Amino acid sequence: MIVAEPAPVLITRQLGRSLPGDPPVTLVTGVDLAIEPGKFTAIVGPSGCGKSSLLYLLGLIDRPTAGQLMLDGQDVTPLSGDERARIRLERFGFVFQFHFLLPEFNALENVMLPIRRLGRLTFEEAQDRAHELLGQMGLADKAMKSPDKLSGGERQRVAIARALANDPILVLGDEPTGNLDSVNSARVVDLFRQLAHQQGRAVVCVTHDLEIAELADIRVSMLDGRISEVRRK
Amino acid sequence: MAAPALGRALGRLGLLVHIAAKHLLMRRRQTLVAVSGVAVGVGFFLAVSALMVGSQADFVKTLIDTAPHIIISDERRSPPPQPGVAAYGSGAVQLHGYKVRSEVRGIKDWQAILREVNEIPGAIGSPSLSGAVTLRVGGREEGLAVVGIDPSIEAKVSTIADKLRTGRLIDLERVQGGVIIGEDQAQRLALGMGDIVAATSARGGTRNLKIVGLFKRGQMQLGSGTGYMLLREAQSLLGRPFIINRIGVKLTDPYAAQDVAAQLERRHAYKAESWQERSADFLGLLLTRNVIMYSVVSAILLVASFGIYTAVSNSVADKRRDIAILRSIGFSQGDLQLVFVLEGVVLAVIGVVLGWGLGYVLMEILGSLKFPISGDVQRIPLDRSSRQYLVAAGASLSSGIVAAWLPARKTALVDPVDILRGAV
Repeated sequence: MIVAEPAPVLITRQLGRSLPGDPPVTLVTGVDLAIEPGKFTAIVGPSGCGKSSLLYLLGLIDRPTAGQLMLDGQDVTPLSGDERARIRLERFGFVFQFHFLLPEFNALENVMLPIRRLGRLTFEEAQDRAHELLGQMGLADKAMKSPDKLSGGERQRVAIARALANDPILVLGDEPTGNLDSVNSARVVDLFRQLAHQQGRAVVCVTHDLEIAELADIRVSMLDGRISEVRRK
Repeated sequence: MAAPALGRALGRLGLLVHIAAKHLLMRRRQTLVAVSGVAVGVGFFLAVSALMVGSQADFVKTLIDTAPHIIISDERRSPPPQPGVAAYGSGAVQLHGYKVRSEVRGIKDWQAILREVNEIPGAIGSPSLSGAVTLRVGGREEGLAVVGIDPSIEAKVSTIADKLRTGRLIDLERVQGGVIIGEDQAQRLALGMGDIVAATSARGGTRNLKIVGLFKRGQMQLGSGTGYMLLREAQSLLGRPFIINRIGVKLTDPYAAQDVAAQLERRHAYKAESWQERSADFLGLLLTRNVIMYSVVSAILLVASFGIYTAVSNSVADKRRDIAILRSIGFSQGDLQLVFVLEGVVLAVIGVVLGWGLGYVLMEILGSLKFPISGDVQRIPLDRSSRQYLVAAGASLSSGIVAAWLPARKTALVDPVDILRGAV
């Protein structure tokens, strides 16, 4: 039986990002990379190597200054800010090092934000969906808690639930375990692997933790803004 | 297709209002300051404009209604040339025994003019004759400008009936030689109701008149030396039978007076003066007053919107992190600007509602004040129409939106990458 390799979600061609100046500061340069669904990709490298910059380019938060970024075969480099926001809303989910929940909203409301903004579900359906996601994160009883009443690990899991709210094809993590103890850290990594292997999403994580990188399907090493090595498991 | 799109747009707006409201709730003190600024602004706007508009309306009403809207008099804007001038123009001639033609005063053919006036829809004309007589009581003499009227018609044209302290206009018809004079004059001549006074006109006629009514003192339009009589009796006293020298016209729409007056004057050559022409100086004064009022009131509302500007500006500065998070989730720049504009709108709306309450209370207080003026208890005229409330709301909402929009534009300057990476 021949299993067709699933087509990559994202493909970069000579992707680059530099800051204007004299001389310009190069953050990322000449990156050719394919992000595949069903795979957990880790981007590693020393601090300042451009791994976070690359992640923000992949996540359409930042704009490249060179090269191309193809999403499902479409060049998304020239898209407007609003069109890029729409893609982030519909198809991407972000998890950051710091929990980045809105402090005025409780856990449930935070998870509901992207669902309500997308507007495909009624308020009640959005609530049900958010409850379901929090349940999957083991936070069913914390739904009404405000972020400052949650532990670090709980907050990060709320953030993951929020990232998954609109059922994204691509999940991006910027040091998602950077602020967690080893137990919570392992739990988050486990979740990320499940998102890729069981749910078929493309998961990309920037990390400096080599243990996490060991658990990834694809490990991309960076140095001085370039990819130095891509290792598949 | 349209319904779900509208639903989504409303859902988005609801979500953004929710976020804006949460921001405001977290910053209670600032919210309170901004809201009370708007409320005080709206409240005083209402009180001041109710006062100004109300007193102006009252003033204009007095101006319009005490005298007829148009007065046709037996004068001409420029008198017709003397026959000598008409015949010889600017030629140099010497004439002997030339007699200057003296005009017979009075409106010629006034019945025809009156008929024409009454045919104009909504117009009523009242003919009258005025002239000077001298009142003589026990050695004291005093001039009286006597006006002969038809009481039943004049009552429809002017408000003199309201100015009576005692007596009724219609009594002129019932009492032979009845006259209504001013309180002041009656006091000077030591006359009271029912007293008899001798009146002599310039042409020598003398009659005894009986006081059947007294005007209140201090009426602008009625000089203290004006008296009213029956038209027929005035004509005989003044020795000018069948003559009238004034037609007062009242219109249902006072603001048409200028046009109607111009039309009448074109047709009949007699001077037809509208109330606007008569009161040009007062109307000019009102314009100045309105300019002053609106500058003061706009300044109040402008200051109120500073509070909104500060509140939203601080909110944008404080919520840079939230802005970055929401952008990463997939909210557009427009969404975030709208969140902060909506903060201004929410502040303005709450302020307007509270301001309405404040304005209502202020108006109640102003309306309850009483002023005794020449024996009458008078209240401050207020314009309490809902139009004032709408104008106040419209002005504060629009200035609030502008005041919020200015700082809201700064959300575009927030670079989510910097904040998400820098992580507070």
